[in-house]
Amino acid sequence: MKNLLQKSLKPLTVFAFIVFALSIPTYFLLVEWIWLKELDENNDLIAQRIENEFNNQQISDEKLEESIVFWNEIQSVGRIEPILKSLQNDSVYTIRRQNPYSEKEIIDRFRGLITNIEINNKNFTLTIETNVEETEETVAYIAVVTLFFFLILVIGFWILNKRFSKKLWSPFQDTLQKLKSFELSKHTEIQFTETDIIEFQELNTALDKLLQHSITTYKSQKEFTENASHELQTPLAIIKSKLDLLLQKETLTDRQYQIIEEINRALTRITRINKNLLLLAKIENQQFNDNENVHISQLTQQCLEQLTEYSDNKNISIQTDITDNVTIEGNKTLIEILINNLLLNAIRHNEQSGQIIVSLNKSRLNISNTGKTALINEKLFERFAVSSSETTNSGLGLAIIKQICNRHNWTINYQFTDNSHLFSICF
Amino acid sequence: MKILIIEDEQELAQSIAEYLSEESYLCEFAATYNQALDKIETYHYDCVLLDIMLPDGNGMKILEELKRQDKQDGVIIISAKNALDDKIKGLQIGADDYLTKPFHLAELAARIYSVIRRKQFGNSNTVQQNELQIDLLAKTVSVNNELITLTKKEFDLLLYFIGNKNRVISKSTLAEHLSGDFADMLDNHDFVYAHIKNLKKKLNDAGYDNHLKTIYGTGYKWEG
Repeated sequence: MKNLLQKSLKPLTVFAFIVFALSIPTYFLLVEWIWLKELDENNDLIAQRIENEFNNQQISDEKLEESIVFWNEIQSVGRIEPILKSLQNDSVYTIRRQNPYSEKEIIDRFRGLITNIEINNKNFTLTIETNVEETEETVAYIAVVTLFFFLILVIGFWILNKRFSKKLWSPFQDTLQKLKSFELSKHTEIQFTETDIIEFQELNTALDKLLQHSITTYKSQKEFTENASHELQTPLAIIKSKLDLLLQKETLTDRQYQIIEEINRALTRITRINKNLLLLAKIENQQFNDNENVHISQLTQQCLEQLTEYSDNKNISIQTDITDNVTIEGNKTLIEILINNLLLNAIRHNEQSGQIIVSLNKSRLNISNTGKTALINEKLFERFAVSSSETTNSGLGLAIIKQICNRHNWTINYQFTDNSHLFSICF
Repeated sequence: MKILIIEDEQELAQSIAEYLSEESYLCEFAATYNQALDKIETYHYDCVLLDIMLPDGNGMKILEELKRQDKQDGVIIISAKNALDDKIKGLQIGADDYLTKPFHLAELAARIYSVIRRKQFGNSNTVQQNELQIDLLAKTVSVNNELITLTKKEFDLLLYFIGNKNRVISKSTLAEHLSGDFADMLDNHDFVYAHIKNLKKKLNDAGYDNHLKTIYGTGYKWEG
């Protein structure tokens, strides 16, 4: 994973490299053209000067011949040669040859001009050559300079990138941070920081719209749960009361009584699910706001005492390791529900003559019970998740436990080892 | 004994009335807030069953009105809301009990019985049932002036039966009464049987005739 600007840096660098590479031959051709043009001019000037100098001497033809021979001798490549008919066109050429004064092999490049001059009204051809920079050297110099600038450019890009990215992306980072810390159930609205960058502003507006929609949906879903549960209470109450009346009929048979009892049990389950849904909605709606110092040691003991009757019924032995006087900050009602639910689960899902171990200290509460098969871990704390073959539960007990833990910022873990289910809560 | 049922749900109100009328209770109805106000101003009731969510007003106001007029009627709030706040507020204003829907009629009857007893007999509140004497305040039971020791749950059960004389009470109803919030989470209701067996035995040992009958295998009925 790379950040966005790092990603754009690579193609930019490649593009800059191509442009700079292409500039090398371009510069070379340009420099070469200027060179040759200037040298041709220079050669022209020299030719004119030679022509003028010779004519200004006002010397005789014999003397001129001697002078030209002498001139030709001292010139290495320059030549003046007599010609009968004057040359129509000048000609230019480029030639490479060995430096005659050097013993090493040094090849120089020359620009030559062959032109017609008139001395004492006689026609001569004049050949002059001027040293010109070699192609390789020009290319090399240009390449070095270009490379230098290329490096400056890339380093510049990189530094600017680093400097700018922080500043440029700060509104985005801000938004991202706010989104990360956002939780639907916490009822806090997000206020994005204003920015003058159009893209980020648009992003914020779009996110805001999306969030508002989610919040509304979430709220109406919760309201629905709460209203539906409320509305169900009355018809449930009617069914229950009618069953109670039916039970009083003197003509009732044993079988009919059993049927009424079966309906009663199902009704109790519906009522439980209903109550639990309401409870969940209330926890999520933060209707349990008050916190106090809860004497959790005492509370756990009390819950255990209330439930021993039911555990005795199953002949379950309970071992406790409860540190005295542990207090914890939280909502007493919820903590009581939490402990009761955990203990009831430990009793209900226990085997005949099984065992329950409850341990409590300042940092954690562990409740374990005997069991045969591990529960399916992933969906354990989800609503109505099927984590075992038991059908009598409301499917909400663990979801409530989880919610209560969330409400207090505690963590809950489940483990199954050596035929024992262990639920542990870290405060 | 006169009872006023303030409840907008006709079916429920009628069920309650039918169940209670077999005792010596006389039930009247009020389905709206205004009807209820009229009734409580005009008559005296031994017990008022008050649904706090009425179509045209909040039942809490009726309770406040009762207290303002210094009426001695016993009040039991029956509500679809299991809100702790409402419960506390209702009891503070002066309700005698709070029952959340849905409830068993036997549970309601037992509570009405105990509210009326408390209201009418004040300090010397004892129930005489043949040779059986129950002191509601001291929570003691004696047969022929001989004290018998009952556990809290056994005492509770005894009162429940006395409040529902000659009614069939099913095992699941008793389980709900005894274990409160947990009943529905327990898949085994055998603990009911254990308590009843002990209660019966203690009463029998003290020489009290067996009024508690088992019916339909797992149902119970206090005859007397």
